Formats: sequence, C-alpha cells, structure tokens
Amino acid sequence: MLIDQILLQIFYKLNNERTINAAYHLLRGKRSGQTIQDVGLFKLYPYFGILRKLAKPSFDDGVSRLVDRDLLKVEESGYFTVTSAGHDELKKLEIPFYDGWHYRGNEHVFFARLSLIIQTLSYQTAGHKYFLPVQRDEQTQAWCRGFLMDTQFHRQTLQEPLYEEMLSTLENAHLSEQQRQLVLNRLSGAHVAGVAWQQMSVQWQLPELDCQLLFISALHSWLEEIRQQQPFYLSKMTGDIRVENVLTGSAYQTAQLYMQGYTLEQISHMRQLKMSTIEDHIVELAMNEPHFDIRFFVKEADELAVQEATQTYMTKKLKVLREVLPHLSYFQIRLALARGEE
Amino acid sequence: MLESMLKQHFGYDTFRPGQKEIISSLLEGKDCIALLPTGMGKSLCYQLPGYLLPHPVLVISPLLSLMQDQVDQLKMRGEKRVIALNSFLSMREKQDVLSFLSHYRFIFTSPEMLMQPQVRHAIEQMTFSLIVADEAHCISQWGFDFRPDYLRIGEIQWKKPRPPVLALTATATGSVVQDIVQYLKMDAPYRFIHDVNRSNIKLAKVMFAQKEEKITWLLEHVSATAGPGIVYCSSRKKCEEISLKMLERGIVAASYHGGKDAEDRQFIQQQFLQGELEWIVATNAFGMGVHKENVRQVIHESMPANISNYMQEVGRAGRDGQQALAILLYADGDEHFAHYIATEDLPKQHHVEQFVYYIETGQQPEQMLQNAEISETGFRVLSYWLQQEPPSAVKQRLTKMMQEKDTEVGRMLALILQEHCMRERLVQYFGQNLSLQEGACCTNCGLRIKDFLLERQQGKTVNVEDWRKRLRKLLFGAP
Repeated sequence: MLIDQILLQIFYKLNNERTINAAYHLLRGKRSGQTIQDVGLFKLYPYFGILRKLAKPSFDDGVSRLVDRDLLKVEESGYFTVTSAGHDELKKLEIPFYDGWHYRGNEHVFFARLSLIIQTLSYQTAGHKYFLPVQRDEQTQAWCRGFLMDTQFHRQTLQEPLYEEMLSTLENAHLSEQQRQLVLNRLSGAHVAGVAWQQMSVQWQLPELDCQLLFISALHSWLEEIRQQQPFYLSKMTGDIRVENVLTGSAYQTAQLYMQGYTLEQISHMRQLKMSTIEDHIVELAMNEPHFDIRFFVKEADELAVQEATQTYMTKKLKVLREVLPHLSYFQIRLALARGEE
Repeated sequence: MLESMLKQHFGYDTFRPGQKEIISSLLEGKDCIALLPTGMGKSLCYQLPGYLLPHPVLVISPLLSLMQDQVDQLKMRGEKRVIALNSFLSMREKQDVLSFLSHYRFIFTSPEMLMQPQVRHAIEQMTFSLIVADEAHCISQWGFDFRPDYLRIGEIQWKKPRPPVLALTATATGSVVQDIVQYLKMDAPYRFIHDVNRSNIKLAKVMFAQKEEKITWLLEHVSATAGPGIVYCSSRKKCEEISLKMLERGIVAASYHGGKDAEDRQFIQQQFLQGELEWIVATNAFGMGVHKENVRQVIHESMPANISNYMQEVGRAGRDGQQALAILLYADGDEHFAHYIATEDLPKQHHVEQFVYYIETGQQPEQMLQNAEISETGFRVLSYWLQQEPPSAVKQRLTKMMQEKDTEVGRMLALILQEHCMRERLVQYFGQNLSLQEGACCTNCGLRIKDFLLERQQGKTVNVEDWRKRLRKLLFGAP
C-alpha cells in the first residue's frame, strides 16, 4: 500500500528519534512548533499535511502492517526502529511527487473551485441554468461566482480555452495516465456523474486511501505544471493556492519584529509569549529562510562543531548533542541543526 | 377559478386528488393537515397559494437537500423571489437576506435556523400569508429525541392575525397527527388524508434462522433479478461490506451513508438517477429528496426500527405506478439490533446525572461532548429537556422515550411475525382500512417473489470513459 510506503519513508527520515505519533502529526499538518521543526530538521517537506483528515485508526493500521511485515519495530514508549528488512524495503519505494509544505491542503480548495466551474460550464453547454452544485461550501460558491462573472462566462466562450489549458497542463505534468483519469473521475457535470472512491478502489484493486493519495499527488504535480506554464484561466484559479509564506502566523509576527531590530527578550515581552516560544519561532525562521543570519546567536566554529557531532554520533537528538557540547545552549544547537545540510 | 390560476401559473389543466380541497381551505384562512404520498404534488399545495396571496410563504423543511431541491425546482420554473435561509449563508449574506425578507415570495428554512434569535426576531416582525411545515411527521419522529427545535416552532409569536398553517407529510399515524396539531398549535385543521396503501408495491418477507443466511440470500437474489433497487442496512459498515460483495459479483452497486464525503454522495446519487447503478446499498440517510421514478425493489437487509420508517422506505419503490417489490429480510433476534440502533443516541439516565454534576461543580456541560461521553444528538436532546423540566422529570421522560422506542420496535416485529395480510395490518397502523383486497398482495397472502421480478440483464458495467473523452464530454456535451 502507498500509505505504508509513505509511512516507512517518514519513519526512516525521522531517524528513530521521534515517537510514532510524530508521523501522524506530520501527515495531518499539525501547526505546532515541534511538528514544524521536525519538517525542517528531518527534511520532511513533501509529506507535511498531505492527509489532513487522516483518522487515527487508519494511521495505526498502517503502522501495524509495517510491524507485521517486520519492517519496523515499535517499543512500548512509542519510539521505534526501522529494521534491516525495512532498510531493504526503502530501496524499493515508489512514492509519487508530493509538495505538502507548499500546498497544505489548499490543493483541495483549488479542486473544489475547478469542479464547481466545470460543473457550471457543463450544464451551460447542456442548456440548463439550474443544477445541484457539487460544492456546497458558500465560500467556494462565492469565489466561483466571482470567477465566472469576471470571465464573462455567459457568452459561453470559456469552455474552449479551459479545455485547451487543462489538456495541455495535464498532458505535460509529471503524471501517470491513471492519475489523469483519477482527476477527471472526480469531476462531474450534465449527464456525467463523478466516480466515487469505493468504485475506483474496486476497479483498480487499490485501497480507497491509496486512490486518495494518488489523487493528492496528482494535484500537487498538476499545480506545479500550472505554475510553470501559467495558462490564463487555471492560473486565476490557483493564484492563492500555493503557500509562499511558509512560517506559521505567530512565527511570522515574531520574524517581523526581529527584522525591525527588537531583541528576543523585547519581543517576548511585547508579545506576552514565553522566551522558549520566541526561540521556537527563530528556529522556524532559520529553517525556512535561507538568507537568515544565525551568526548573531551561533559562532561559525560552534555551528561546525554541532554538524560534526551529528556525523560522529549519527543523531540529531538534542540531549545527546548537548552532552557532547555542554558549552552550547539547546537554542544554539537547534539553530545549528536548522542550518545543517541533509 | 382556481383551475384558471393553476393553468396560468403552472400550466396544468386539472388538480391532482386533494390539491384543490387543501388550497381552498387555506385560502379561506383555515389550518390544514395534508397526508399526501410523495410524488402526488405536495408542494403545489403551497406554491399556488404563494401566487394568490399577498404576502410571503414560509416553508419549514427538515433537510438541507430537500430545501435546496424545492428552491431549485421553483427557480427552474423561473421564480426569482425564492430564498433558502440556511447555514450555507455567510453572516453577511444572512443579514442581507433578513433585511429584505419581505421581498421574497417563498422563504425556506429549517427549525434550527428559525430558532436563532436574529432570525426569529425578523420572522416575528413579518406578515406571512402562509406557514408550511414540510415533512411534518418529523415533528413527532425527530422532535422528541433528535431535533428538539422542531418542538419549538409553536413558540414563535406570529404577527397577528396568525396566517394559516399547512402541515405536509407522506406518512403519519393518528398519534403523529395529534403531535403535529399540538406542537404547531393548529386550530381545528382541515384534514386531507390520502389512502396510504400503495397497491403497486408488493410486500414480501423472508425469514431466516441465522443472520449470515440473509447476506447469502441477498447476494443470490440481486445476481438473478433486475433493479434498480435500494438495499437498506442499519450500519455504515454493513453498507460497505454488502456493496463490496455485490461489486465482487459484477453487480453495479454503490454504498451510500453519512460517513462518505459530500462529493461521493452526490456522485452516487447522480449515477443512480441516471440509471447507471443497479443497486444502492444505504443507511436510512438515503432517500428523502431523491426523486427516482423507476425503483423496482426495496430490500431491508436489517429490520427498520419502526413501522413509519418501513413505510417511508418502502414508499420509494414504484413511484411510476408500475409494479414494484419490497422485501424484508428477518433473522431471529434482529429486533435486538433494531432496538440498539433506535436507542443508541438517546441520552441515558447517567447522562442526566453527569450533566447536573457538571453544572453544580461550575463546569461547562459541553465537556461531555469533548470527552465523547455522549453523542451530539444525545447532548442536544438532553440540554433541551433540562431547560424545560427538572432532572427527575427528564429522567422519567427518557425512560418513557426508551419504552416508546421499544414499543415501536415491538410493533415492527409483530408486523413481521404475524400471519395475516401484511398490507392490511400496515394500513391499519396508519388508522385506515384497506379499500380493496387483492390476491397475492404480500407473502402472507401467497405472494411469490419470483413472479414479480424481471430477470437481471447480465453484463452491465460501469463505463468510465478515457479522461480526454470525459473532459470533452463535460465541456462540450455528448458528441
């Protein structure tokens, strides 16, 4: 199963240094300092928030399957080890493209817009003005209404160019033929009903969750292609979908203040937040902003020392690193790690 | 006179049975209860008065999809002054709608929306020509233990003189009619009661000793006989399991229940309406507001929790008037599961104590929800009744509700187990008598299932076009 492959990959990347649940929070895109830092520390950008509604039992089932196949050992404490069989398996993984870090579930917002617009155009072609909208969310409906007005859809001239744009981007995007089919199966219109997950699951002999994962990957790849080609209408639909400012809201505010020249103590006081929280924000900034200068906090020699220690001891565990480098604070070590190469 | 109005506004020459009587009594300002089977033009009973009377018509409807359906139908006929006042509106839009409320001809809303202070206030300031409770049996069926706001409709202080109230429903027993009159505070209403018997639907039951035998029988049955049909199950898991087994046998089936995402539900509904599916395997979440004329079979894999539900679900077959078959599968002990399902969401005695404890210790009773100590429905019901009565009375009431559910399951069981004509008993349950005895109208009267079904056409498959072709078809229509 695809979900198992993704889980194994995440566990491998986590380097046995987190508990099982870290992967769960990662897949659901939990916006906590810990999860965000794990993303940067262990280079887990692709998988952040790709399954925002993942149910705990489905996750647990995936872990159990890995354990049953001897690919993973889980201790009572929740910590785990990828077994040697697991490492062999890692070489055989075939995980499609994901960019969870930049899409964060927004890919579904794009698809909701597209599906309502396609449905409207389809009924327009068929000569029907009224139909049961496939998207009931009022925000989506309002957005689509605005889009259709702006593009003067009443002239019935939208179908042709949108068709060309979709065909060209879907064909050029790095997608399997099955994924292209999957995308179209989830669209509906006059006399064309959408295909339910259960139906695709039976037809393709794939679990429903795998079909959904392939779909999400397809959307990410497609959105990348749209970003490259910049076709007129599809770009309009996707303009605000990619998250360019990847910092969390709170970290962003801290970053703004820091850039204005305030010290961490001042920011802590101004924002009524604990010092440790402000430090979390700075680490998040360091991880996501390549030009951010950490030299004010960590000397070059210390940064190199941390990187050497991670090599020597094969770990990114703060506790271990702190024991080896007692003259550095946790904050300094984390900053150095944030800068660390893969 | 009325006929010319009907022609002018709807293009029909004649009324269907009951419509003229109902509309006349409403125009005279009298309250009215109309028991009309689905598909017999219930909505015309308030739509025509909407054009004849000076002020807006308020329609209170239980389901969002139903509401949307009615709004769509009106809009499709070119009526622009129609609005659905529901939770899909944003705050801003709601305010806009509320301030222009009197400009609409038809206003649809739900009991919950009606009870929001802002909405209630606007409604109480307004002059209506007519108030309609659609699917009014929900007052009784859902009001007590599912959606208490239904019971509160009667609390609204309508601007005087209060306009006539029309209660519409497809099925209702005497006691349900009584509840409707009481909770809507109706005044000596005119009653139009259509014959509840649907003679084109044959009633069958098949008895089993073991539960597993039901599935085996069902799978054999659907492999050999023609749909389209609906299989009703009591749980989501059952729906998934049975639909998968049907698919494995090459039968074009799909499951439908509240656990599916909204898109999936709409896709499946559209497929069913377009005739692409042989079977829908569903919980009772499927049906209301779905207008499919040619459903040939309705099968109850699980026993319904009461006779009203059974009647409603059976009634989704044969709306085209052609012969249809309803089959109820019963295995020994099924009533226990039916009882469990019926009372699952009902708050229990210890919930009352817990609720009171939270209040007394200065905590929010909502914590019960967060701690998953009670279902959402259960909590809603509990907080409604605890606002109305002291805890001891609520406990008694809950015990009584539990007993009533029990009685309902018992009645359903009795209908299954008894040896007389099922149709006669069913009609009697709704306080009517069978006008005409037909030959083999049910299993107890010697009906044989095989005589009434067409053989299944082999080789039907879901045909999903290649994605390019699909895209073309979506945007440019069929070639």
